Formats: sequence, structure tokens, C-alpha cells
Amino acid sequence: MRSNSGLWQKLVLLGVLALIGTVLSILSREFLTVTNLINVTRQVAFVVITGSAVTLLMISGNFDLSIGSILGLSGMFFAYFIPLGLPLGVSLAAATLVGTAIGLLNGFLVVTLRIPSIIATLGTMYAARGLALVITGGNSIHLGLGTNFTVLGRGLVGPLPITLLLTVGILLLFYFFETRTILGRYSYAIGGNRRTALLSGVNVNATTTLLYVLVGTLAGFSGVLMASRLGVGQPMVGQGFEFDVIVAVILGGTSLEGGEGSVIGMLIGAFIVGFIANGLNLLGIHSFYQSILKGAVLVGAVLLDRVLKERLRG
Amino acid sequence: MNGDILDIRGLGKKYPGVEALKEVSLTIRGDSVHCVVGENGAGKSTFIKILTRAEERTGGTILFKGREFRPRSIREAMNLGISTLFQELNVVDQLTVEQNLLLGREDTLLGVIRRPDRNRRLYQILKDFAPDIPLHRRVGELSFAEKQVIEIVKAVAAEASLLIMDEPTAALSQKEAGRLFELIRGLKQQHITVIYISHILDDIFAIGDYVTVFRDGAIIGTARVADIDRPALIRMMIGKTVAEGYVPRKVDRQEVGLEVEGLCTAKLREVSFRLHRGEILGFYGLRGAGKSEIAQALYGLDKILAGSIRLGGRPVRFAIPRDGLRRGVSLVPEERLAEGLILKLPLRPNVSISNPGKISRLGVVNGRRERAAVERYVRELSIKVTGIEQRAGTLSGGNQQKVVIAKCLNADATVLLMDEPSRGIDVGAKEEIHGLIRDLAAQGAGVIIFSSEYQEILNLCDRILLVADGRIIKELSNSEASAEELLHAVTQTKRLKP
Repeated sequence: MRSNSGLWQKLVLLGVLALIGTVLSILSREFLTVTNLINVTRQVAFVVITGSAVTLLMISGNFDLSIGSILGLSGMFFAYFIPLGLPLGVSLAAATLVGTAIGLLNGFLVVTLRIPSIIATLGTMYAARGLALVITGGNSIHLGLGTNFTVLGRGLVGPLPITLLLTVGILLLFYFFETRTILGRYSYAIGGNRRTALLSGVNVNATTTLLYVLVGTLAGFSGVLMASRLGVGQPMVGQGFEFDVIVAVILGGTSLEGGEGSVIGMLIGAFIVGFIANGLNLLGIHSFYQSILKGAVLVGAVLLDRVLKERLRG
Repeated sequence: MNGDILDIRGLGKKYPGVEALKEVSLTIRGDSVHCVVGENGAGKSTFIKILTRAEERTGGTILFKGREFRPRSIREAMNLGISTLFQELNVVDQLTVEQNLLLGREDTLLGVIRRPDRNRRLYQILKDFAPDIPLHRRVGELSFAEKQVIEIVKAVAAEASLLIMDEPTAALSQKEAGRLFELIRGLKQQHITVIYISHILDDIFAIGDYVTVFRDGAIIGTARVADIDRPALIRMMIGKTVAEGYVPRKVDRQEVGLEVEGLCTAKLREVSFRLHRGEILGFYGLRGAGKSEIAQALYGLDKILAGSIRLGGRPVRFAIPRDGLRRGVSLVPEERLAEGLILKLPLRPNVSISNPGKISRLGVVNGRRERAAVERYVRELSIKVTGIEQRAGTLSGGNQQKVVIAKCLNADATVLLMDEPSRGIDVGAKEEIHGLIRDLAAQGAGVIIFSSEYQEILNLCDRILLVADGRIIKELSNSEASAEELLHAVTQTKRLKP
């Protein structure tokens, strides 16, 4: 589905990532250590897991602001179910399904009720966050979680963190969806031209709903992993997470109008954001400045992307 | 203005690797309608772009009213007196007619818009050209033809002495086109010269004084319209003669493909007809008569209020186009760019999208099988591309339309609905597409052509149904039909309407 300019774009992005990496490794001795890189990867993992599905959704020209709230809500449910005596697997699945349900609601609002996606998911963003607070009256859950609670988030398989393996697996799955399946095809088609897609026999409504459901599910799963990593259910976790994901997706070359983009681009985008945040921390730069820089990088990258595209198209 | 308004000498435009215009020389007489024709890619568009300063020339001189014409921007070209009526109209739908006319020329006091002075020349011009367009109407509520008039009025008010019109009748009905021609005659009286670009040769004979033919970036010749006939003009355009006309074919009336009985939607009343296998059926009517609505109702795009549709004898009802495609009903939509193609994407997915079952198993695409299927259609329909990865948006109009047809064939269509199948494509490509349609019918498909071009209907269709006001008013066989007959029938009904 990708043209030559797509490959170009990824090479440029990789170049930017390498440049940032090089600069940081010169400025900070700690940056290029195994411990630190694993640390960055851990941070980036959550963005990549949810971002994999969000990339497809945004390729289809849709948008989801509720993922940060879903992450918080599912994490809360995970921590809520365990002390009730539910087995780990059941709790995990049920908490993830909470995300699925919100995704389904998003799909219903956008597809059936035809509410613009930004408005619909802004609504569920508030509602899901509120629900996460309602569960315990705003308190965190850290009692009665047991030792298994943190296995997913902190556990290792051999030398590798379970979270990392899951991230790679999900990333590959969505790369496969994007490049090799009808679902990927339809996402590009709907984002490229919704009307043409409909007339060409694409079930636009069903496909769009499915994409929202996938995003909700993965946001929910990210929430479970996050709670497991933190070892606590906190209702306010994941605030601003939606923007980290969207920034990664856009940095990765996905256009807001849809029809363009890639999961691999999103992965590189997520690492660019991760490197910058980590590097600035190591250099002891205050988070206030980090926020300014993040904003500048986003706008700059989109500008660069446009300039490159115009060059390539002559 | 008497004498020559525009004197072009050795005009050239080179793009890297391509010479789009080769030393073009041409004079345009004042107060004339000078038509420019040529196939797509012949250089017409480049020519206009240079005149409007959307592109910069790489050689040659232009004398406009005797003076060297070298504007530095589109705005400057307009200020010098060259206005353009593009196919994509430049009006703001949300504003009223008056606000559109005054746009950029408002009387203001410290940035606050003052009540417009109704004595301005603008109002007089609008009154002269279109007395029936109310000033306070939102432009979005007007028809395309009326919007066009607004643009022309703006050009006249801007004191244009040369108005370039790019395919102005492409989206007009016969009647609206007639009105536009009257308006153009009015422009001549106001000493405004018109350069008229069109694929529609009838327009040229209706309105043109001179005609210049472009081919391969050069001018083949210029003639007085009075001194040339249609076949001669076509010969100049394509360098070979086109055999036009209907070839009678045998249709087996026993095998009914599609049977429609009393179909009603919000816009259609009691539409009934039969389409046989191997038949080419034509729906002819003016724009807005209800042709597209019939196609849309059959394809699951409009809500059906009453009536029945039978496919191969079995009743069907399609909720969305996908249902139709799966049963062998395909649509080539009216708006190729907005509905037929995904311009950002390569040709490959544009064709393969219509039939996922053919290229995938359990939702996983088999790339080899997909490429083979698409490449087959590229060959069979002789689509001119660098490869199946070429973006659909970069193809010429004729090749784009072939891609849309390939997409329908890919869905194994047995009933093909084609809405304005050759709109906006050049004469050569049109002939090819007509040939293709005949081949499809010969192979047993039932084809329905919805067209507002009578020539196309007469050239292709075995039977012709005339449409007006959302209903079928008459059925003719090809041998009974003539251009006069078709036009007469559909315009008469219009006049009967209060």
C-alpha cells in the first residue's frame, strides 16, 4: 500500500532518530547504557501498543481522544477485580474488555449517531475518566493485589521483559494488518476517500466500528500493563497519554485527513518522543521545558514532512 | 476592440524532461469567441496556465492589447484584464450572491463593511446577465449554472477584456448550456473576448468564431468555425478519423438480467424497466432529470420507498453497495474523482478493492494473486500506466475512467450501471471506452448507460429510455431514435412543468 515516498519518509525519520540519539549520547554518558535504553523502551512500549491500533484508525481518517482515559479506567478495573478474588487471567481479560466496550461505544457514537470523532471521543474521554474515579471514590487501589499483579508489567522471560515481548508481538500483528490484510486495505481506502470506498463495496460502518473497538481494546490492555507495572490502580493514570500516542502517530507520517501512514512510522515516532523526554531528564532539564520542546518537535516534524512530500512530488 | 487582442509568438514551456508547449504562435481577434480544442495532454491546460500566470513560460512573447504581457502573479494577470472561469468554481457557498460579488471589493470604513452602494455597476451587470438570481440568496442554494453566471458577472465587473472559459458546459444540461451561449454572445457585445476550451465539439459549432487545435504541445491549425465541419475538426484533433455511430447487435430478449417494477424513492416515481443480458440500455435526460437517482437507487445508495428489483428472476434489495457488488451489480459513478477513485492510492488497490474474496483468504491478502488480477485488467483495458503502483491521481482522465471500469469488472459484474461514463475525457479515450462497453455487452453483461450526451446514447444503446422529472417518459429503440427526437422529448416535458 505504500509508495516510494513512504519509504523515503521512514528513512528521514530514522535519520532524525539517529541524530537525536547521537547528540544525546554525546551530551550524556548515561544515555547509551543498556539500563537506560531498556528504561526508554519501557516508557515507549505503552505508546507503541495503543499506537499500533490508533495508526490504523487514523489512517482511516478517524480520531480517538479517549485512549488515555480508557488506559486509566482499565487499569483501575484490573486492580479492582483482583481483590474480589477473580483469577488473574479473568481479571486481565475483563479489564481489557472494559476498553473494548468503550471502543464499541465510540464506534457507535461516530458511525451510527454520526457525531464527529473528536467530539464523540472527547465525550467518552471525560466519561471514562469520571468512571475510573467513581469506582473507589477517587482513591488508589493498592491493597490485596498479591504478587501476581505485577508479573505482566515487571516480569521477565529469560532476560527480556514480558512487556517488551507483548509490545513487539502487537506491533508485528498490526504491521501485518496494515500491509497484508483486507482490514488494512479498507482503512487506507476509507481514509483516502470514504465515498469511493463505500461505492467500491467496503462496509465502511462495520470497518470503522471495528477500528474503534481495536483501539479501545489495546488502550484497555495498555492500562492493565501499566497498572501491573506500577503495582497499583490509580484513577488518574494516563492523563495526556492520548497526546503522546497521537504525536507518535503523526510524527510517523500519518496524515490527519487519513489515507496515509504506517505502523513502523509510528514506532519511530514513539522513539523520537521517548528519546527526547529521556534525554532531557538525563540532562536535568525541567519538565516545563520538555513540554515546549515536544510541541516544537511535533510542529517541526509535520512541516518537514510536508516540505519533503512537496519536493518528491515535484 | 477591433484587431488582435492577443498576439502570441513562439510561446514555450519546458518542464524537466518534457516540452509541454513547443513554440506556439497564435493571434486572438478582439470581440470573438476563440475555441481551443485538443486531447488531454495536448497542451491546452499549460497554455491557459501561462496566460493566467499560474505557470511561468520558458520562452516566447505575449502581446496583450499591443503591450508586452508579463504579469508576476495571478492577481496581476487579472488586473491587466484576463479573467478565467475554471471548472472548479471560485465562489463561497456560505455567502449570499451579493456578498460573493463584492468579495474583496467591499466598501469599508475602518474594516467595518458598509451598506453596499446599489448603484454600482456590478448590480447593473447582474441585472443584465441574470435578472432572476436574487441578491440575498445563499450561493450554496444555487445551481452550478447559476454559480457560473456569478463568476462571469464578477469577471465583467473586474473589467476583464479577455475571459478564458475552461470546459464551461461540462457540468451543464443542454438547456443551461444554451443559456450560457446566450450570455457569451452578450459578452461579445460588451467587447469581451472569450477563449473557450472544450471537449464538446457541438459547443464549438454553437458558439465559436474561430477554433484552434492543439496536439502534442503544438498548434495543428486554426480555422474559422464557419469554414470547418465536425469530421474535419476531429481529424485535426486526433490525427486519425474516428468511426462514430451505432452498430446494431443481436440481443436475446429471453434472458432478463434486471427487472425493475414501480420503483419509487424521494426523487423517483414509478420507474419500471427491464434489462436483458447482453443489452446496452440508455437512460437519457437533462441534468437533474433523475438519471443518477435511478442508478443510486439500484445500487443501494438511496432509500427505496416502493417497488421491486429482480435480479435474474429473484427479488433483491441492497442496503449498501457491497450487497449489490456481491450479486454482480456494479456502478461507475458520475463523479470519477470524488466517487470513483482513491486518488492518493496506487492503481492496484483502486482496482482490487471491489472483490476482496478474489485476492484474500481469511482476510489476508495474497499479493501475487492481487498483482496478477490487476495486471490482467491493465492489459485487457490497455490502461496506460508506468506500472500498477502508479498513483490513481496522476493518471489522465481516460485512464482513470478505465481504472474505475476495471474495478467494476474485478467484482465480476453481470449488470453494469454507468453514470456519465465518458464525461470530461478526450475524444480518443471516449471511443476506446465505448468500444469496451460494446465488448462487455457482447460477452453477456447487461449495461445501463446514464448520460446527458445524446451522441453517446445514440452511439451505444440498443434501447433508450427518456427520463424527466424522476420518471420514464418514453421508450425508443435505437433505430427509432434521433438526436432531435431525444432533445425534443426531454425538453418538452420540462416546459410542461409549471
